[in-house]
Amino acid sequence: MLNFENRDPTSESKYQIHEKKLIKNVLVELERLLIYANIPYPVYFAFEDDDIDAVLADVKRNDASGQPATATTGSYKLVVSGPEPKRIASPTITNIQGWLPGLKADGDLNQLPTIAIVASYDTFGTAPALSVGSDSNGSGIVALLEIARLFSLLYSNPKTRGRYNLLFGLTSGGPYNYNGTHKWLRSFDQRLRESIDYAICLNSIGSWDNKLWIHVSKPPENAFIKQIFEGFSTVAEELGIEVGLKHKKINISNPRVAWEHEQFSRLRVTAATLTELSAPPELLESTGGLSDSRHFVNEDAIVRSIKLVAESIARHVYGYQGKNIQIFADDTSLAVNAPYIRSWLDILSQTPRVAPFLSKNDPFVMALKKELQAHTHEVNVQHEVLDEMFTIYDLTKAKLNIYQVASVTFDLLLLLVLGSYLITLFTFLVITTRGLDDLISLFRRPPSRKVKAV
Amino acid sequence: MTLFHFFNCAILTFGPHAVYYSATPLSEYDTLGTSVKAALVYLGTALVKLVCLATFLKVSENDSFDPYQELLHALIGFIDVAGLYFALTQLTHRNISQNHKFQAVGLGWAFADSVLHRLAPLWVGSRGLEFTWDYILQGLEANANLVFSISLAALGSLMWLRKNKPKTLIPIIYACAGIVATMPSITSYLRRGLGWHFPKVVGFELFTSLMMAFISLQLFSACQRPSS
Repeated sequence: MLNFENRDPTSESKYQIHEKKLIKNVLVELERLLIYANIPYPVYFAFEDDDIDAVLADVKRNDASGQPATATTGSYKLVVSGPEPKRIASPTITNIQGWLPGLKADGDLNQLPTIAIVASYDTFGTAPALSVGSDSNGSGIVALLEIARLFSLLYSNPKTRGRYNLLFGLTSGGPYNYNGTHKWLRSFDQRLRESIDYAICLNSIGSWDNKLWIHVSKPPENAFIKQIFEGFSTVAEELGIEVGLKHKKINISNPRVAWEHEQFSRLRVTAATLTELSAPPELLESTGGLSDSRHFVNEDAIVRSIKLVAESIARHVYGYQGKNIQIFADDTSLAVNAPYIRSWLDILSQTPRVAPFLSKNDPFVMALKKELQAHTHEVNVQHEVLDEMFTIYDLTKAKLNIYQVASVTFDLLLLLVLGSYLITLFTFLVITTRGLDDLISLFRRPPSRKVKAV
Repeated sequence: MTLFHFFNCAILTFGPHAVYYSATPLSEYDTLGTSVKAALVYLGTALVKLVCLATFLKVSENDSFDPYQELLHALIGFIDVAGLYFALTQLTHRNISQNHKFQAVGLGWAFADSVLHRLAPLWVGSRGLEFTWDYILQGLEANANLVFSISLAALGSLMWLRKNKPKTLIPIIYACAGIVATMPSITSYLRRGLGWHFPKVVGFELFTSLMMAFISLQLFSACQRPSS
């Protein structure tokens, strides 16, 4: 059923796109069912191939005919070998932050204002080893890295360095009410927190057609929100993108945090989330599970999102709001690098990133840190313990062996057949070599003893 | 496929040997020593064959039928016949009639062959969970092999131990002996050259073994008549 050939995305017909959407919807439904159902037996996911197809066809055929399984048809035994899953005691989450300092004028003692760009990098799904989250939030990670790269180019030269600090944050614990972001912000120095002008959180920007949403917690009439939204709208119009504003009040007593910017808003920092989703996702929804594979992500959408964000931020930093200028124009040294995006997206689509299974020195986390180090001045890694929301057990991958077995009745029958064969052979040989009398004499007891007893 | 299946295949492979020994007069005359000696001779022959094969045969990558290699294989197979000759003629047996001698030698020969070639795969393979028909077919093959060995021993004893044979039958005896001796090459040709599947090959072996047994029985009784 899940058969993805390597189709060229630009030449897809409408039917193929529709088919993809159907498959995606089915997977999303399936995942939601599995997450919330109480299943008393383990559920395994495997990739389809010829052998599994043959087994499935066999079992279906047998079921349909209603016959009991014989030696050669239908009876299969599934065996998983491996250790008993153990509970993970204190799962760690790792936040990575990169700091690009702005240009401080000589004699200026005040703290420069900061703009933060944040994306959460971990995923969650019913099958953790398959939760690669290409869109949620692979697209966000890739966009953040590219924006960091572009601004590092600008900030490398003091002549083009802006008067804003840039803070890049790759947070973990996203599916668990953005627990990582919460802990990251709590670790901030008061002055740093107060210097943040605004924060842009990137979430799922990889599979949209022409509309993006900016979700905020402060009311739209707020001056800061108005400024941010206008900046984004102007750039969006130039790029041919539609941007909508959505306001959701935060409820401090409700532990559910649907958007990352809400963690900032709870500490009174102006923040917004840029995403293709129009409604806030429920708990454990849109967390990069089974259905979120590479095929559903459009690089072009990510490129356009990067242009939108980078351009809007740059205009704010350099004071070019409302002016018709393209800083990150195509075919320049500051153009958005599509191959870079593609290669990072491909890697992310092959790396499952469920936070409790990422150790402190997980190679992928280290790779993200190294990449951010290449683009920023200073990188800090923060290890925290994930708050106890769920009990998590290890063992994400196992080897499943499917054997075709014959029932015990088959072996019993075989024993019967063999027994009779050997007995026939025995009698045949006795008759032909020793004569029939010998055969009978084997069974008759000597009669003399009986007579004596009487 | 569990120990039960292993037990079943084992009695199919080795049962007939025990049954043959106990059913025929062999057990009455206590010819176990002869059989054991024949088995040891088989082991020695197998070792010699192994060395020759390793020295002279090339390892082929694909499973196709190479006539030259198969010819070499058949020639080395004649070492089998030499071994049988040694077992029949050179070993000192207790005073048992010719009739029983060839049966005991054939039985020991076939038993050693089954143990050497079939016990290890049976032990390792048939105890697993996956079910295949292979081990049952292997057992049937062992049965056919038993019949072949006894026929070959009969023909061998006719050739080397019996001095007064009717002239007309001599070429037939040698021809039948030749066929039985080259049986392994024939089966490997069928499997590789013609591409027959294992069940078909085993069926062919069973059929030919019964045929050859019948023919050798006729020959043996025909040769027996003048002397009796």
